[in-house]
Amino acid sequence: MDVAIETHGLTKRFGRRRALDGIDLTIPPGQVFGYLGPNGAGKTTTIRLLAGLLRPTAGTATVLGLDVVRERDRMQARLGYLPGSFVGYADLNGEQYLRYLANLRGGVDWNVVTSMAKRLDLDLGRRLGVLSHGNRQKVGIVQALMHRPELVILDEPTTGLDPIIQQEFLGLVRDVRDAGGTVFLSSHIMSEVEAVADHVGIIRDGSLVLVDSVEMLKRRALRRMDLTFAGEPPQSLSAIAGVRELTVSGSTAHLAVEGSTAELLAAAAPHRIEQIVTHEPDLEEIFLSYYDGRG
Amino acid sequence: MVANVFTKTLRDQRRSLIGWSIGITTLVLVEGALWPSIRDMPNLDEFLSSYPDAFKKAFNVGAMTTGTGFLNAELYTLVLPILFLVFGISRGARLVAGEEESGTLEVVLVTPVSTTRLLLGKAAGLLLGLCVLGGVTGLSTWLASASFSMGIEPWSIAVGSVSMVLLGLEYGFLALAVGAVTGRRSIAIAVPSVAAVGAYVLYVAGLMVDSVSGWLPWSPFHQALAEGPLASGLPSRFSLLVLGALVVIAVAAPVFARRDIRVG
Repeated sequence: MDVAIETHGLTKRFGRRRALDGIDLTIPPGQVFGYLGPNGAGKTTTIRLLAGLLRPTAGTATVLGLDVVRERDRMQARLGYLPGSFVGYADLNGEQYLRYLANLRGGVDWNVVTSMAKRLDLDLGRRLGVLSHGNRQKVGIVQALMHRPELVILDEPTTGLDPIIQQEFLGLVRDVRDAGGTVFLSSHIMSEVEAVADHVGIIRDGSLVLVDSVEMLKRRALRRMDLTFAGEPPQSLSAIAGVRELTVSGSTAHLAVEGSTAELLAAAAPHRIEQIVTHEPDLEEIFLSYYDGRG
Repeated sequence: MVANVFTKTLRDQRRSLIGWSIGITTLVLVEGALWPSIRDMPNLDEFLSSYPDAFKKAFNVGAMTTGTGFLNAELYTLVLPILFLVFGISRGARLVAGEEESGTLEVVLVTPVSTTRLLLGKAAGLLLGLCVLGGVTGLSTWLASASFSMGIEPWSIAVGSVSMVLLGLEYGFLALAVGAVTGRRSIAIAVPSVAAVGAYVLYVAGLMVDSVSGWLPWSPFHQALAEGPLASGLPSRFSLLVLGALVVIAVAAPVFARRDIRVG
């Protein structure tokens, strides 16, 4: 199998409203793909099309080489899925609920379930109806991963999870990838995706506006730097290509550089730099620029 | 316990089945307990003939001088059919449309289980639930007959119970099917309810108005009740009820397989 997910002109209309407009996406196996976009951009529609819960108005989608319409049930057997608003049976406890779904899937290795529950600090003996939102979400995560699927599709998986459990969850996602699986996860928070994804796609108003590796995005991102000079910072800094948002306080210049820092450093070096502080590139800004249509 | 969709459907019904069984048993036994005093009324025939004609036809009042006729008129032609309809329609509407609206269907469908297998599993669960209620109805009728010397043949009791089950099945499966097609519980309740009222009006009108009587065979109430329904023979009309129930599921399955699942 060369691709985990492949769509061609994937389009979905609800009545007159066009929720998704000709998405072309190819995701190779063995990676974590972050699907980003503001609320209402079409993330959930894409995910529910890929999970076989919606039928495309136009275009095609194959998941693990299987057509999501014609080979839906075989595809769903190999898929793990966490809906955006996961709801289980309130009258069953975690174990009863997961055993039911496991039976529908033809059985799972129960050790996987118990170890995942332990990692997420989830009590399987309690009824779903009395669990907090975060604990219910953990049940949803376990059911999506317990059969060790080749592809996991997660719609806003970390909503309601506290930061420690979020870290455990990201660990589970990395485990899937390390075992050769593929993870497709949606989010509207860049930092969450940045922490775990290899590639990201950004969707806005039903169209894919960007697909790139996190590595490439970081290279293109604004990199914030503080340059401290022995004397006054030179005036010429603001004229250098890629330099933005230059402010000077005392002998320190605070600025942001887009792309390579080589030209800046070459220009600044003769002025006797005492200290350089560089900050992690801020993908949020790229993301936001695509959000509001500047990108 | 919850090995598949069928057993899950049964499990979901268990509390409701216990409640309904207690209710139906009580109703049948109380009605049966009235029999001795009715039978011993000195002028029962006179009293019965004073009923309006429409009443006599709809409830076969003329036969009320026997225990079988009494239960047919008092329970099996209106009260029990309504109870089986309410059970069938309310459970049937919940099975797919209710699950879809609450959001629990979403994860269950993203498994190797196809929409059609899910629909059939739920239909089978509803059928068995109705059979349990039918069994309870039959047993309590037998108990009432034996306790209050109503003299109802066991075979008639079986036929009467089957007719209740089939009536509940026809409209329960219609509710399940409409829910599978629309995903909306309110529609899944409304359509079979309106259909049942229409069929009942057709049934009663057919009994009273000669020009309508030709349409009688189309009413599921006629199909279920015409012979008694506590009757000595198994009416071949029952097969129409089975057929009707199977047809609505068969029509719904391909639509369910092709439509969008609604977000809960």
